[in-house]
Amino acid sequence: MKKRLVLFLALMLTLVMGVSTLTTTTASAASDNSLAKVQKKGTLVMGTSPDYPPYEFQATVHGKTKIVGMDVAVGQKIAKDLGVKLVVKSMSFDSLLVALQTGKVDMVISGMNPTPARRKNVSFTHTYYQGGYSIVINKSDKGIYKDKDSFVGKTIGAQTGSTMYNESKKQTSGTTVKGMTSVSDLILALQSHKIQGVAMEKPSAQAYVANNKELAAIPSNFDLSASDTSAAAAFAKGSTSLVQAANKSVDQIKRQNLVNKTYLPAAGKYLKTNTVNTSMLHYWKAFLTGVEYTLIITVCSVFFGFILGVLLSLARMARGGVFKTALRWLATAYVEFIRGTPMMVQVMFVYFGLGLIVNLPALASGIIAISLNSGAYIAEYIRGGINSVDDGQTEAARSLGMSSGTTMRYVVLPQALKNIWPSLGNEFITLIKDSSIVSIIGVSELIFQSNIVRSDTYRGVAPIAVIMVIYFVLTFTASRLLNYFERKMQHD
Amino acid sequence: MTKPIIEVKNLAKSFGDNQVLKDITEQVNPGQVIVVIGPSGGGKSTFLRCLNLLEHPTSGEVDFAGENLTTLDDKRVNELREQMGMVFQGFNLFPNMTVLENIKLAPMKVKHVDDAAATKQAHELLKQVNLDDHADAFPTSLSGGQAQRVAIARALAMDPQVMLFDEPTSALDPEMVGEVLNVMQELAKQGMTMVVVTHEMGFAKSVADRVWFMADGYVQENNTPDEFFSNPQTDRAKDFLSKILM
Ligand SMILES: Nc1ncnc2c1ncn2[C@@H]1O[C@H](COP(=O)(O)OP(=O)(O)O)[C@@H](O)[C@H]1O
Ligand SMILES: [Mg+2]
Repeated sequence: MKKRLVLFLALMLTLVMGVSTLTTTTASAASDNSLAKVQKKGTLVMGTSPDYPPYEFQATVHGKTKIVGMDVAVGQKIAKDLGVKLVVKSMSFDSLLVALQTGKVDMVISGMNPTPARRKNVSFTHTYYQGGYSIVINKSDKGIYKDKDSFVGKTIGAQTGSTMYNESKKQTSGTTVKGMTSVSDLILALQSHKIQGVAMEKPSAQAYVANNKELAAIPSNFDLSASDTSAAAAFAKGSTSLVQAANKSVDQIKRQNLVNKTYLPAAGKYLKTNTVNTSMLHYWKAFLTGVEYTLIITVCSVFFGFILGVLLSLARMARGGVFKTALRWLATAYVEFIRGTPMMVQVMFVYFGLGLIVNLPALASGIIAISLNSGAYIAEYIRGGINSVDDGQTEAARSLGMSSGTTMRYVVLPQALKNIWPSLGNEFITLIKDSSIVSIIGVSELIFQSNIVRSDTYRGVAPIAVIMVIYFVLTFTASRLLNYFERKMQHD
Repeated sequence: MTKPIIEVKNLAKSFGDNQVLKDITEQVNPGQVIVVIGPSGGGKSTFLRCLNLLEHPTSGEVDFAGENLTTLDDKRVNELREQMGMVFQGFNLFPNMTVLENIKLAPMKVKHVDDAAATKQAHELLKQVNLDDHADAFPTSLSGGQAQRVAIARALAMDPQVMLFDEPTSALDPEMVGEVLNVMQELAKQGMTMVVVTHEMGFAKSVADRVWFMADGYVQENNTPDEFFSNPQTDRAKDFLSKILM
């Protein structure tokens, strides 16, 4: 318990001082019972960013979406050799290492290069695959670009936080390097001529070219050490026993050339079946799941946010003794703080930060974070609603001998809530849209699902158009419904 | 001599620099009907609101049944407020409740009367103000005269010893003034102690025991209605009467 508290305090501190300190603090605090822990648990949780075929990507298998690719096969091999079950968790590439350090996942396999900088914060296995870099371009530009040096005055894109991104910056001159979170976005940018090339690993480039007739691949000719083009599995810093065990599997993979002989062809098959039917209708289930989660998050968050909002607004209006004054200050500080920080940061803080104390699933973290956020806004609506109730109402109630509490509860609040109904409705509609932020921690709401469909179909725009329509249908329906109830309430 | 139910001693009230009540010392005896009259802005509402502590006096004291309200804690003030019903110019009915619920709320939440008893009492009070057929109506559907009668019934539901009225008919269309004044007159006949701020001369003449003329932060005259209207003492009162009788 004490250790947890220390960890939490360390996190609070490091959030202020920068993430780099965080990594060392938490990593060194962990002691090495890592292998025993995983075996006791019976599962090995692997984090990956599934938009990087053929390393890892989403495929529809028997109508169900799952994460496949050669990295998943590597993960499965490691898990099998450890005698445990593999659980694959998807999240954005940027979040992977934080998830590892905060114990959200046991292992990261995501085409990740064991760079010296990363080695400072996590422990890597031996490399299981030695790749190289290509640059994907539009086929129509094939004569123009030869390698990395042909892009003077042009723009190359690469996945933010990736080795390619850093190397593209270092090893080109006169070339702009644009970072984006997902490779599907980069390809989309390429096809809409926002950028002229996308640097990525060779197998990925081959997969994209094989699945999209408009694209071509050229060699990158980056000057790179072997470690820059290799992929290894990452574990929490200091989990030596686990790394050693995993190394046995990795060495075997290397010796038997399993990646090239078995894993890559298998992944390629998924890519084939996957791209046969890229119609959006084919993915209705994925979109439906997205709608479901978006609505769950929104409804729960408005509900809990409302309860929190009532409490906060009452606390903000408390007048009197020391206790009430302290309460008012606290509530005011909370509201100001929440309204003054981005919801995205709050979501990450709840998922990764509180995750150090209690292991919350992504969905629960998302709902908690958005409820906490929305509570602050709803508190202000309620305060406004209370202030809009005529003073005469309070005076009438007080003149009848009602205490201030009774007056608030039976006379003012019911009227205030009626007044703020439209604002609450707006908050609901805003949250339908803003709940998309939880996609960064891997909750399969609409945006997340659309990203899956995009990397699945290699179609950049269609899924965006689909969710745009879905969002509109959701918000429009919601606003009609709310209007209807509002009118009904006014008739009473 | 009967003991006064309300005693006001050297009452003063300021809002910032604006000294609204300067020095008022008066008393109300049980069963008396006092009409407070005076120019607008003269502090009549403020005075009335000081009587049940909706407004806290700046200095001086307000005694109710021998207890100095200005020194009591919130709980005791709430208890004493039950005994002073108040009727406002703007009715201040609770718009989200039916007429019946408006009347039942305070007895149930403050006195913890059970629902059946509160309902029974509410119907009796509604009969008294001739509105029992509107028990289930919402306030917005009532005329001003009806709303004000409901407000009177609501105040009576707490069994007050004193009723305070702040211009109860000023917001009403002329044809509705009568129905409200009749209810008030009935109440006076039954012996209710009343302090009424009003400009209704007829009501003052026929119902009031005393008229207090209030202007510039003082009660300038305290007299019987006959004396006050036929023979005002101060120039201030003469001037006021000549204006409203025109
Ligand atoms: N809550 C308040 N805050 C500041 N000034 C007030 C307040 N209530 C009344 N006043 C001022 O006190 C004076 C007397 O008002 P009021 O008691 O309503 O007079 P009357 O009822 O005789 O018309 C006015 O000048 C008014 O502006
Ligand atoms: Mg007034």
